[in-house]
Amino acid sequence: MKKILVIFQKEMLDNLRDYRSWVTGVFWALFGPLLLGGMIMLLGNSIREKVDESLILPVLGAENAPNLIAFLEQQDVVFETAPADPEAAVIAGDINVALIIPENYSEDFSAGETAKVKLVFDSTRQSAMVDINRAQNLLEGYGDYIGLLRLSLRGVSPEVMRAVQVEEVDTATPQSQALIFLSMLPYFIIFAIFNGASPVITDATAGERERGSLEPLLINPLPRGWIAVGKMLSAMPFATFNLIITLVGFAIIFRILPMEELLGVQIGFDISTLLAVFLICLPIVFLACAIQTLIASFAKTTKEAGTYLPFIGLIPSLPGLALAFLPVKPELWTMLIPTFGQQILINQFLRSEPISGVNILVSAVLTIVLSAAVTYVAIKLYEGERIITGK
Amino acid sequence: MIQVQGLSKSFGKVKAVQNVSFSAPDGQITGLLGPNGAGKSTILRMLYTLLKPESGSAQVDGFDVRQSAIDIQRRIGVLADARGLYSRLTSRENIRYYGRLHGLTGEALEKKINSLMLLLDMQSIADRKTEGFSTGEKLKVAIARTLVHDPQNVLLDEPTNGLDVMSTRAMRQFVLRLREEGKCVLFTSHIMQEVAALCDQIVIISHGEVSANGSPDDLRKQTGKENLEDAFVAVIGSEEGLE
Repeated sequence: MKKILVIFQKEMLDNLRDYRSWVTGVFWALFGPLLLGGMIMLLGNSIREKVDESLILPVLGAENAPNLIAFLEQQDVVFETAPADPEAAVIAGDINVALIIPENYSEDFSAGETAKVKLVFDSTRQSAMVDINRAQNLLEGYGDYIGLLRLSLRGVSPEVMRAVQVEEVDTATPQSQALIFLSMLPYFIIFAIFNGASPVITDATAGERERGSLEPLLINPLPRGWIAVGKMLSAMPFATFNLIITLVGFAIIFRILPMEELLGVQIGFDISTLLAVFLICLPIVFLACAIQTLIASFAKTTKEAGTYLPFIGLIPSLPGLALAFLPVKPELWTMLIPTFGQQILINQFLRSEPISGVNILVSAVLTIVLSAAVTYVAIKLYEGERIITGK
Repeated sequence: MIQVQGLSKSFGKVKAVQNVSFSAPDGQITGLLGPNGAGKSTILRMLYTLLKPESGSAQVDGFDVRQSAIDIQRRIGVLADARGLYSRLTSRENIRYYGRLHGLTGEALEKKINSLMLLLDMQSIADRKTEGFSTGEKLKVAIARTLVHDPQNVLLDEPTNGLDVMSTRAMRQFVLRLREEGKCVLFTSHIMQEVAALCDQIVIISHGEVSANGSPDDLRKQTGKENLEDAFVAVIGSEEGLE
């Protein structure tokens, strides 16, 4: 068994000297924090600016409704003349929203009939949502206000109009807004783990065969399985290192970005959360190294291994991406799926939800068992003749 | 001491080795001679336990290749066709790695490495990374690595392939030296002259079978040819693989 250590030490030395490979791996680890940080900054900025500024509302036919215009101006709306074809301008993205007041507006309004105005917008444009909602709310507000006035004039109590009053109780904490971002965290974390291990594993298995050094190595007096295990173990420090880099990267991003200002929430990503997420992810390090060792010993060349190893990391991390949009309850069955269980657990930690110890245990044990099974298959593969002939 | 009886191996439909028998005693140089693709490397691979024989058997110092792979691996040193050095490790680190895999440690290992380096005149490249080494320099590292555990049986697969004249000479002297030390040396080659110059015993392989076996003199007598090259052609029945 000591010889596993010999293999491990040699692979560590060899891989550390191959700094280009592992530096590439580290780049992947930083990719997540940088991307997420960038997205939060962009989106946060646009939300914040829109709320603080006055609404700029392009309008056509302002002269048809001087009262409405005066009302909106009081509400801090700045008007500008809309382009001749507002719909085209909205489609082109030149303006977020446009108000069209038809000529017969004042006629209908004076006659006490329902006067129509048109609001042109594109509801799929996320960056325009703030402007659209404000314009809609203001216009409805004006309609309600005029309606109440008319009822009062006719001696009807405004209460008549309000048969039911809806009192909104929103249970979303300020943090919920930011959670859609946090839900993507597990995805980046798992991706970083796999990408930390893959250059090292590719080099140690497929690369070794390609350079012709695998055959002499296998002639040494030790069970071949130990060679496989030693090589797999030597990828773990790199995967773990990448995990740490990613987590620290996220912690730094959340610390240096003014999250409170950008998203209106404070994200609890302190040392204890960091440590908990790290421990939850450790079994994934084992899984990532085992799966990739197995696949790299199948691949004939480093090029072949290099073409699909990165995607191996993508598959288990995809559910994390889906979790951002389709929340799943942390039931026991979800813990039975390696990497999926951990992604749910990470989300729970970030939301500071109460976490079941059984869930943590089940997900860790299942992942470790699966990793051990994959390792066993890799060992069997090393013991066969295919590892030498590549056929 | 290596003994081979009726060894066979196929890859799919290709019969790479068929019913090969020979023995390579200690203190002698045995050459496996044959054209490219005759099955020489496959025989060696079965001897150093990387491939399993389909039928027949082979023993190294009495240990069977099927049952006692690890015991055999302890007793052989193999210079494979592909040298397979680690380019990011220095010569010394390459040799040390194999020494440690053979269970050598500490001062004994370092002493052994130093004496091999002295023997092979490679002190100047001892602590350089092997990346960019010449073929001759790589060969020296590979030889030192092969011998670090002082094996009784030395298997050399095309040891002079790609070497210049000086390196080839050094290689030959080295093989003779191993014989003087009483080792069992088995090497493969497709080069007639080399085998004739070195071997005590020649096993000629063609199409996976032994077509002749004996000392150079035996072969000349068997074929009735004065020249060993003519004898070789007579045995394999064609001039393929001659250089």
